[in-house]
Amino acid sequence: MNLFSYFDIFIGTKVHRNIATYERGFGVSIITIATTKGGAGKTTLARLILARSALAGLKTAAIDADFNHTLTDWITTAAKHPITVRHEVDETKIVPAVTQLHETHDVVVIDTAGAPSQATIFAIGCADIVLVPIAPSSADIVEGIKTVNLIKSASQMLRREVTTRVVLTAVQPGTNIAEHVEKEVGKAGLPVLKTRLHRLVAFQEMSFTGIPPTTGIAGVQCSNFLEDIEALGGLPETTKLAS
Amino acid sequence: MSKKDLASVTADLSALALGMPTQRPATLAPVAAPAPADAPAAKAATRPKATVEPEPVTQFSLSLRKELRKELANLARDADMTMRAFVLLALKDKGLSVRDDDLVDLRRERH
Repeated sequence: MNLFSYFDIFIGTKVHRNIATYERGFGVSIITIATTKGGAGKTTLARLILARSALAGLKTAAIDADFNHTLTDWITTAAKHPITVRHEVDETKIVPAVTQLHETHDVVVIDTAGAPSQATIFAIGCADIVLVPIAPSSADIVEGIKTVNLIKSASQMLRREVTTRVVLTAVQPGTNIAEHVEKEVGKAGLPVLKTRLHRLVAFQEMSFTGIPPTTGIAGVQCSNFLEDIEALGGLPETTKLAS
Repeated sequence: MSKKDLASVTADLSALALGMPTQRPATLAPVAAPAPADAPAAKAATRPKATVEPEPVTQFSLSLRKELRKELANLARDADMTMRAFVLLALKDKGLSVRDDDLVDLRRERH
């Protein structure tokens, strides 16, 4: 057995993860995806983060707080890389579940229901970053604003700032509606993530194939999206993630 | 990014969360097994119940800085509850014996 074989055994162990965490000066990342509007792209964002993180070799876990358990179904049937998942709609169990998973994983993503709920509040409270997806519709913007206000209230009660970013999803560039949404979101003063995710087939395909886009426009947007989160301190350095 | 403390999340956010719908599956209170008919407790239960007098309600006013009051109003509005319920829930966390019926929005009863 040569030195490299020992190194192979060492990779992925708890000691290795702790050293890696220390080196990047970064703890476990807890990302909550929330909006009180359904169909805005919450589960798509969760899939992108989880799949690309797992692909990069990070220990990745998900808490699915949505009654429809779409994310759980995707992880158990389609996802190609190891992702721990727990379907938990009971609000009294969200914080204990996060506490448990964040001991053993590098990234924990919480997908919430598309309606206001106590579980969403606690998921926000556990988060390093909350992502609020907004698709191009009036209802999406209204509920997005409500969700951002809710996060502000939670921040005040937690006495810490919960980093929040709106993610514009299903964007159709060059259309009036895309321009209008940008304008409305700007008018409302919502903090928007730089990367926009377009309405692309590759994102929809991922729900069947379990494979996150790594090439083409979708791949570039996905990498940029993860780099934006990384820049906010919400993910480990994504040089590997972005490849 | 500020440091988070998972241990205090539930306590810090319970007042805000209580204004939101629950996702918990409805659970039934455990049903006690019936006591034998000749048991003393059973005999006592057949006695007519004493009428419980409703506890008198008293008014209490609170002076706040204008800005603080505005902040309270915003927090309560975001949590979809009255300022009264919001304050009571916060005090409940500190050990005040607040019951569910104490949180009823009295303004709605007047309609």
